Amino acid sequence: MSTRIPLVPENIKPLPSLKGNEGMLSWVSSVDHKQIGLMYLMSTLVFFIIGGLEALVIRIQLAQPEFDFISPEVYNQMFTMHGTTMIFFVVMPFLIGVGVYLVPLMIGARDMAFPRLNALSFWLVIFGGILLYYSFLTQSGPSEVGWFAYAPLSEKPFSLNKGPTYWALGLLAVGISSVSSGLNNIVTILTMRVKGMTMRRLPLFVWMILVTSFILIFVIPIIASAFAMMLLDRLLDATFFTPAHGGSAILWQHFFWGFGHPEVYILILPAFGIISEVIPVFSRKPIFGYSFVAGSTVAIGLLSVGVWAHHMFAVGLGNVANAYFSLASMLIAIPTGVKVLNWVATMWGGKIYFATPMLFATAFIIEFVMGGLTGVAIASAPINWVTTDTYFIVAHFHYVLFGGSLFAIFAGVYYWFPKFTGRMMSETLGKWHFWLTVVGFNMTFFIQHFLGVMGMPRRTYTYHDLPYWGSMNLLSTIGAFVLAISVIIFAWNIIWSLKHGKKAPDNPWNAWTLEWYTTSPPAVHNFDLVPPVRGRRPLWDLAHPDQLDEPNSKVV
Amino acid sequence: MNIWQVLSSTWNMEPWVLVSALAVLVAYGLGTGFKFTKLSALFITGITIYVLALVSPLDYLGRTYLFSANMIQHILLLLVVPLLLLLGIPKTLAEKALAIEPIGAVMKVLGNPIVAWFLGVGSMWVWHLPSLHESVLANDNLYITQQISFVLIGMIFWWPVFAPVESRRLSPLVSTLYLSSACLGCTILGMLITFAGAGLYASYMTPVDTIGILPLLRGELCLTPGVDQQIGGLTMWVPGCLIYLAASMVTIARWYGAPEDYEISSNSGAEGLLTATQENK
Repeated sequence: MSTRIPLVPENIKPLPSLKGNEGMLSWVSSVDHKQIGLMYLMSTLVFFIIGGLEALVIRIQLAQPEFDFISPEVYNQMFTMHGTTMIFFVVMPFLIGVGVYLVPLMIGARDMAFPRLNALSFWLVIFGGILLYYSFLTQSGPSEVGWFAYAPLSEKPFSLNKGPTYWALGLLAVGISSVSSGLNNIVTILTMRVKGMTMRRLPLFVWMILVTSFILIFVIPIIASAFAMMLLDRLLDATFFTPAHGGSAILWQHFFWGFGHPEVYILILPAFGIISEVIPVFSRKPIFGYSFVAGSTVAIGLLSVGVWAHHMFAVGLGNVANAYFSLASMLIAIPTGVKVLNWVATMWGGKIYFATPMLFATAFIIEFVMGGLTGVAIASAPINWVTTDTYFIVAHFHYVLFGGSLFAIFAGVYYWFPKFTGRMMSETLGKWHFWLTVVGFNMTFFIQHFLGVMGMPRRTYTYHDLPYWGSMNLLSTIGAFVLAISVIIFAWNIIWSLKHGKKAPDNPWNAWTLEWYTTSPPAVHNFDLVPPVRGRRPLWDLAHPDQLDEPNSKVV
Repeated sequence: MNIWQVLSSTWNMEPWVLVSALAVLVAYGLGTGFKFTKLSALFITGITIYVLALVSPLDYLGRTYLFSANMIQHILLLLVVPLLLLLGIPKTLAEKALAIEPIGAVMKVLGNPIVAWFLGVGSMWVWHLPSLHESVLANDNLYITQQISFVLIGMIFWWPVFAPVESRRLSPLVSTLYLSSACLGCTILGMLITFAGAGLYASYMTPVDTIGILPLLRGELCLTPGVDQQIGGLTMWVPGCLIYLAASMVTIARWYGAPEDYEISSNSGAEGLLTATQENK
């Protein structure tokens, strides 16, 4: 035993109060996966509010034709920062964070395989966020070149300001963080499962996190190297992406979308995982076709890395390339459709209980299918040529990322909040939040399909007073404000419930995965003992020893 | 000539193809006792595709006019035919063969996943080196060597995933890694060929138009050298990769279809409760 004096006293309580003597220190220095997970979630809420405010600025500017609420430069900064924030600092860290919190609990482990690496991953996200937002303090403001930062616009001499440099540096930090959490997840899931938790009994959420982690460690290095090359171009006069000096601007697009398309699945697969946990519990049935849900995830993971060129139909890769990538992209609809079918079949004939998590999960299926259908449409190159860079695309990916990922995130927050904090969230506020989100979301984005087909370009600062454009945009802006109100209610619900929420029992939803076996909030060491895992629903088997899911499994 | 005339007149019944196919079939029949089963149907389909790939217009067009036809032939010979042949070998036959000392020893080396992976992906890369490809087109013996090597190496490549003897197979998750990394190898080469620009393989730029179909190919079918090479590269890239992907899905499906092993420990605490996993300190 070494006699070194710890810098920080060991945590005894699961959620140390910030007001205590070393309250702040015990969070900042924590390597406990639950505290790190919660810090991920809290910081994503902050970034979510910032990114949402940026979206509101965009929508105000577009509320009426020829409006000049902000300057074109600020407008460009807003949509760049909105996209970057929502993708890299909200959805990604939320899903990674909720994974960090739940994976060890769900597989019956005490912590992640590499707790310190876990803390590093989290703090790198914060560091990246600070770098990104620091650019607001530079003379020329943040990046104006879009979240895709296409070359040569993002290169000298077209962008001489510091914005894109901070942008690339910030995202590089997040990239390093993502790769390390990917590795951490993979090692944790492969090596730290409790006895009996075989790979085929993993909770589907853990399975999705595993596949996502493989995608992370495969594709983040692509974009991280591209960021490094972009920084070399910008700071050391290299010419990777500048055609004028023999570089290739299209190469940036290949790198960006080589990462960018799999990124869509990084953002949606863990969301699928959340939905696959919530729907069975609130339908009181085991998931329909577990192996199909798990297997189709692998198919999505593998397909996702091979179809990025469908983001580049308008580049001019040639008809042959377009045709191949159209077909390959449409294939993704198969494993995705399989999942939707499984969720619906799980609900079919179930005793459905519409608590807030289930409301969001149900709405997720509907909204996500909308986004998926427009996705299949724009996978066809000719349709893509008509709609590319219009509001149709904006509508499409908001249906996938908001209607999909964010709805699942809300479902997850309501579902696991009792476990995280030991208190229930208010159902009344939750229902208000849900209905305002559904109304606001569809009001904002559904109309944008039509605007897109009518030809309204994306990223446009303003537009002429064409028939209906003004009123349709105004409707969209009103929808955005309804969404803003729903987010305020959501944030208030969290704050209120933390203090005054009903005390949560260990397993308030009668769920079946291991995280519900421990106390709410879980003890510092997660579990004293873990029940034997003899099927996919360990807590069901524990409560119903005469009706085991896998009746033939026996203690050997 | 119109396209149907081309397709009907460019069959090339090369004796070595027919003889090799017949010899393999007879050997297979002797090994399995000439019984028609599901496995033998797979094996015969494999041999049929092998013959078709080498005697049909695909072969003629690929050797003279079209790189894309050549690539489709290569994918069939390296990925499709060997897979069907391997799946068609009954377990008992494979066990008997592996029990023979030299065969068992050789397969131990070649069946090693690292060796098999490099042979499979390497043969794709090496045979598509432009200079080697030109030599293959010019030299008949080298051409025959290439085709046979594709099939043999293809079987070695698939061995760690689909070996008839289960104990020789990789676990499903490792198989998926094995196949997806091979897909990556294929993708990179496919990308290089697709985006290299026309003329990577010089002989397809100005083929010797012995049967006078060049105007048909270049004009009516729009198969200019650039488009032709793109189709070739993309065929390796996209459908080639989909074969690996489909194979991984098969391994996963097989895994989920197999019964679960019972992995409950008996030395657990009260009421069968277990200690949570923690870091090894």
